Amino acid sequence: MTITIDTLVKTFGTSSALNGVSLDIADGAFVALLGPSGSGKTTLLRIIAGLEAADSGHVLFGGEDVTDRAVQDRGIGFVFQHYALFRHMTVAQNIAFGLTVMKRRQRPGKADIAARVEELLGLVQLPGLGERFPSQLSGGQRQRVALARALAREPKILLLDEPFGALDTKVRRELRVALRAIHDRVGLTSIFVTHDREEAFALADKVAILSNGRIEQYGPPSEIERAPASEFVRDFVI
Amino acid sequence: MRAATTEPRAVRALLILIAIGWLALVILLPLFAVFVQAFEKGTGAFVDAILQPDALASIRLTLLTAAIVVPFNCVFGIAAAWAVAKHDFRGRNLLVSLIDLPFSVSPVVAGLMFVLLFGANGWFGPWLMAHGIRIMFAVPAIVIATAFVTFPYVARELIPLMIAQGRAEEEAALTLGANGFQTFWHVTLPNIRWGLLYGVLLTNARAMGEFGAVSVVSGHIRGLTNTMPLHVEVLYNEYNFVGAFAVASLLACLALVTLGAKTLLEWRHRDALAATGH
Amino acid sequence: MPGLHLTLGMTLLWLGLLVLLPMAAVIARSLGLGPRHFAEVAFSARALAAYRLSFGAALLAAAINAVFGFGIAWVLTRYQFPGKRLASALVDLPFALPTAVAGIALTAIYANTGIIGRPLAAIGIHIAYKPAGVVLALIFIGLPFVVRTVEPVLADLPKDIEEAAATLGASRLAIFARVLLPEVAPALLTGFALAFARGVGEYGSVIFIAGNMPFVSEIAPLLIVTQLEQFDYEGATAIAAVMLAISFAMLAVINFIQARERHWRDGGR
Repeated sequence: MTITIDTLVKTFGTSSALNGVSLDIADGAFVALLGPSGSGKTTLLRIIAGLEAADSGHVLFGGEDVTDRAVQDRGIGFVFQHYALFRHMTVAQNIAFGLTVMKRRQRPGKADIAARVEELLGLVQLPGLGERFPSQLSGGQRQRVALARALAREPKILLLDEPFGALDTKVRRELRVALRAIHDRVGLTSIFVTHDREEAFALADKVAILSNGRIEQYGPPSEIERAPASEFVRDFVI
Repeated sequence: MRAATTEPRAVRALLILIAIGWLALVILLPLFAVFVQAFEKGTGAFVDAILQPDALASIRLTLLTAAIVVPFNCVFGIAAAWAVAKHDFRGRNLLVSLIDLPFSVSPVVAGLMFVLLFGANGWFGPWLMAHGIRIMFAVPAIVIATAFVTFPYVARELIPLMIAQGRAEEEAALTLGANGFQTFWHVTLPNIRWGLLYGVLLTNARAMGEFGAVSVVSGHIRGLTNTMPLHVEVLYNEYNFVGAFAVASLLACLALVTLGAKTLLEWRHRDALAATGH
Repeated sequence: MPGLHLTLGMTLLWLGLLVLLPMAAVIARSLGLGPRHFAEVAFSARALAAYRLSFGAALLAAAINAVFGFGIAWVLTRYQFPGKRLASALVDLPFALPTAVAGIALTAIYANTGIIGRPLAAIGIHIAYKPAGVVLALIFIGLPFVVRTVEPVLADLPKDIEEAAATLGASRLAIFARVLLPEVAPALLTGFALAFARGVGEYGSVIFIAGNMPFVSEIAPLLIVTQLEQFDYEGATAIAAVMLAISFAMLAVINFIQARERHWRDGGR
């Protein structure tokens, strides 16, 4: 599903987080929002998700304006930096959560939910761990569960906020590969936030570089490396 | 757009209204009632009630009790917190539970315990009587019962605080040649002083206000063994409402001062207080 | 660290003399009654009625406090409003106000001549000098226990679990019921248990408003006092032993809840 971001402005108190950001993301793209802390990249992601409201500007999914739509109704999947798993629920209950809170008429039956959970556990390579609690998993496993949970309602759009930020280097690499494979297999449009240049360039089809609430450059990694659009991009990327 | 993690404005307003309404009804109204009743017959009647010799005697006894109990429990609270927070030993958790024990004992049961020890039929009663020592229905029993109910407050406040602060600063002082007492005095005490003050305030408030335990052991002798709360009861049961509420209003002022000091401490020294719920 | 022997010695001495020895006296004395006689006096009809009132009223008051205490903790941690600091300070008043003062103040308000008692009496509702008065006093005494145990847990809840639930399509109500409430449940239960334990043993605030009719509005601690005044030491001791046993049981329950919560939290995230 295409994502269109049209001149978003957002201020927190007196400091401005986004100064009129526009961005066009193609269906099936894997986009990284890259920038130093305070550049507005997380704010942008949260506005796309509907967790935050912009002061002005629009967000469109597949050409449809979703600016005023609540996060619950946007049909996105969201992965948090610190997993945000429900610790009083098992892994299976965590993954099934999105399905069990659906309106009774749309909600799948118990057996269907269980089958879907098994399928997702397989997808994130954690088969058989459904009965564990989050506290019994490693960091990398927890993030895989969070990913499976976000995918349960078959979103067309997946948003990830520093998804590897809390993990060590080796687990990071493994999870990166797994994420890219899942993205391609499920046919998602994905946006992830990172401050790690190497990660953004290794994983994304296109990278948007943010600074002070503006997009400095938006393009494929090779193009950014070849022709940095500004002094800032040159310093930040190279 | 509907906010993701907060309630609609109307729901918020309603919940705030219910919470404030409930606090006003359950807590503010009784507090208010104490002062209204105390001044019902005017300031003159209020002052007269306070200046009654029996009332003054009860104030003196309450101050005396607090003056004995608070320092004692303060010293022992610090000792207990030092032992528990700065050392590892077997039975540490059990000791902490035992220190908390007086919190969960009914004050009346606490009073009864001392009757069974020091009363005429108690374990030590006959011996004490034979030697002419009077504990029961006298000031010593009031002091002991008060010490029992206020025993945990200082330690309770200090233990989590001292555990959270760790042992590194004390260890540094020791490697620099300070002895144990110097380490405590120069390093630990400055770190815990606000928490200690808070614990002392709570101890004092409870010591001056204790009713059940003291009621059982005091014997209710007017002008001699009636503390302020007991004197409130006596006056109330004699239908001397202005007198009862006048003395009660002094105790309410004590509570307000304690709360004010607590709020101020939390506001100014939030980091230096233990995060205990009480 | 130096000073262990000195401070531990002081603690054990003070604890032993002030707390453990007196408790031993109650236990030894009640054991001395023999099982049959003990059961007779500890579970006489009048004593049973008193336990029933003390327990029932404490249970009801703790339940009411769980609801409103949770609401107050919620409002204090999540919303901004004028007078918030004052409201927060007021919550602690029952900790600081002597119980006898609370007792006579509540009686003055809810007696048939009082500001709330009079209109209630006009429609046939009587609170003071009835079992309802006991519940009322215990609501006053127990409220801060719930608020002060729930408040820090609510304040420490990470925002992202609520956001995660919202991105998964959960409504605000579903987030509350299925994500927030289970997270806070152990603290709420602890607060409830603390308020209940305090309520069972409460004396000062209750006796003024209760009416103190045997079999009707006489709480267990008052029965102990009454029997002491009649020099019935055996009866008083037996009832006290029962109350002590209840205190210990409650303490064990509270410790259990907290240990489980800690286990959960440390493994948590």
